[in-house]
Amino acid sequence: MSWRAEAARYWAFVAKNAIMTRRSVFMLFEVLFWPCVWLVSVGLLTRFLELRQEMVAYVLVGVISMSIIQVCHLDVAFALLLDLWAKSMKHQFLAPIHQGHLLLGHWLMGVLRGIGVFALLAVFSAHAFGFDFLRAGVGPLALFLLGLFLNAAAIGVVVCILILQYGHRAEVAAWSLVSLMMLVCGIYYPVTLLPGAVRWLAELLPLTYFLEAFRAYYGFQPLYAHSLLKGYALTAAYLVGLLVLFQWGLNRARRTGLLLKLSE
Amino acid sequence: MPVPISEASAISPTMLAIEAQGLHKVFRGGWPTRRRKEALRGVAVAIPRGAIFGILGPNGAGKTTLLSILATLLLPDAGWARVLGLDVVRQARALRARVNLASGNASFLWALTAEEILHFYGRLYGLYGRGRHRKVQALLERCEIEPYRRVPYNELSTGLKQRLSLAKALLNDPEVLYLDEPTVGLDPDIAVRIREQIASLRRERGITIVLCTHYMREAEQLCDEVAFLREGRILARGSAAELKREIRTGDRIRVRLEGPVPALAGLPGVLEATAAEGVLECVVDDAVKRLDDLLGALREGGAVVRDVRVLEPDLEEVFLELAR
Repeated sequence: MSWRAEAARYWAFVAKNAIMTRRSVFMLFEVLFWPCVWLVSVGLLTRFLELRQEMVAYVLVGVISMSIIQVCHLDVAFALLLDLWAKSMKHQFLAPIHQGHLLLGHWLMGVLRGIGVFALLAVFSAHAFGFDFLRAGVGPLALFLLGLFLNAAAIGVVVCILILQYGHRAEVAAWSLVSLMMLVCGIYYPVTLLPGAVRWLAELLPLTYFLEAFRAYYGFQPLYAHSLLKGYALTAAYLVGLLVLFQWGLNRARRTGLLLKLSE
Repeated sequence: MPVPISEASAISPTMLAIEAQGLHKVFRGGWPTRRRKEALRGVAVAIPRGAIFGILGPNGAGKTTLLSILATLLLPDAGWARVLGLDVVRQARALRARVNLASGNASFLWALTAEEILHFYGRLYGLYGRGRHRKVQALLERCEIEPYRRVPYNELSTGLKQRLSLAKALLNDPEVLYLDEPTVGLDPDIAVRIREQIASLRRERGITIVLCTHYMREAEQLCDEVAFLREGRILARGSAAELKREIRTGDRIRVRLEGPVPALAGLPGVLEATAAEGVLECVVDDAVKRLDDLLGALREGGAVVRDVRVLEPDLEEVFLELAR
């Protein structure tokens, strides 16, 4: 099999999402408008509350992380969402592609857009709120961002699995899952503030560990040892499990006829 | 009960593009009360390579279900199907590279232009570089959508969308092409052009085409063989001529005449007779056998016969007979 033919299959999804982003006001809003609104409003709130610079960093790490995850996970979810809206689902599954092409192709576009959002928000927050995103150094920052992107991939795959199970009814998951993580993973506050059962849930989510690991560079003592390692290990385990579930969901949609129904 | 007209079993398996036996499909849905719909009930088909095979039937007959199983989009509950020698369940990915589907109600991403849609699906079929550009250009021209190449999908007319769907289905030079109601809802002139393109595809490339339609004339014009599907079962299968011969709907004799129309009710072999404005239409069991007797009875009754025509039954009549 030609590597160029294989590369074309991955690139198909990157190119498709790039065009859709360029043409759709909705998608431009997702990439630019909401992350900026979010950052400015929270940044101004930190000024009003007269937070110390390290506390400002604590909150802004959370805000920027959530924006990156939101943008990147949507791209992965678009693997099915766009075709769900366009009723063109069956055509991509009629082509000789596997789930790797579909999900990795969309994830790559998510990473590109996520890097764009990160650059925009990092530069803006440095100027407006004196926040230094490079304090940890390039290596730890790159590892942190990769962790976020992999997290986003996992959430996006969950959305896709839900779509394959529930069709249009699962659309709401594309936006609500990330908000739920915001609540649990310690975006604005340490997870020690959470009640016991919810904290237990936070410890099951890799984002909690990635945030812990990165905030350590801003003077916050991590709650867990080897946070970064735990974050990656959990992410890898979830991704493997989710890919198996995705394939199961796709086979199920082929068996129940949902794949066809979503194309009508 | 199926009418075994074409002797598919006489064809060597290597000559068959599609072979299926005992295909069953049940759809379940609804909440809180579960609904159960049997879409296919033991369907068997054998389609030779290079043939145009029509699947006819009313809405809900199971046509799209059968096509979707053969196209690997749907898994059968029981039975098996092989397309180009590949199992549609176990060897689906290898098969997908060699087949394609165009449907009359196809839909693509709204913001992509016609050209971008072809490039997107071209990439999915592993086309790259200049080869893909040449292929897309050729298909834009072949399907007469070149002037609209930069028009977003949601601004294309129904006819153009259908032609784009056909162009997309030709991206991988499929050996088997599935067409699901390719001319539904089209103006007659555009429908004629699409039919011409379908016919030329077989002529030029020898593609095996499976055509789902409920337009009997379309099937009669294009297909070498058709299968009538109703409630998930194949009621009859064969060429249009064979079906007309086998499923006797009666021969129709049209007589233009002057003078009184005598009663024909008691005449042997006359199944039905209607007269209006100097035209008598008779359905008889066999036109060759009954024509002389019919004309004799008319003359005896005082009618002057001006013109006589024996009309061939069309597929629509066969279908109505089967659906009864």
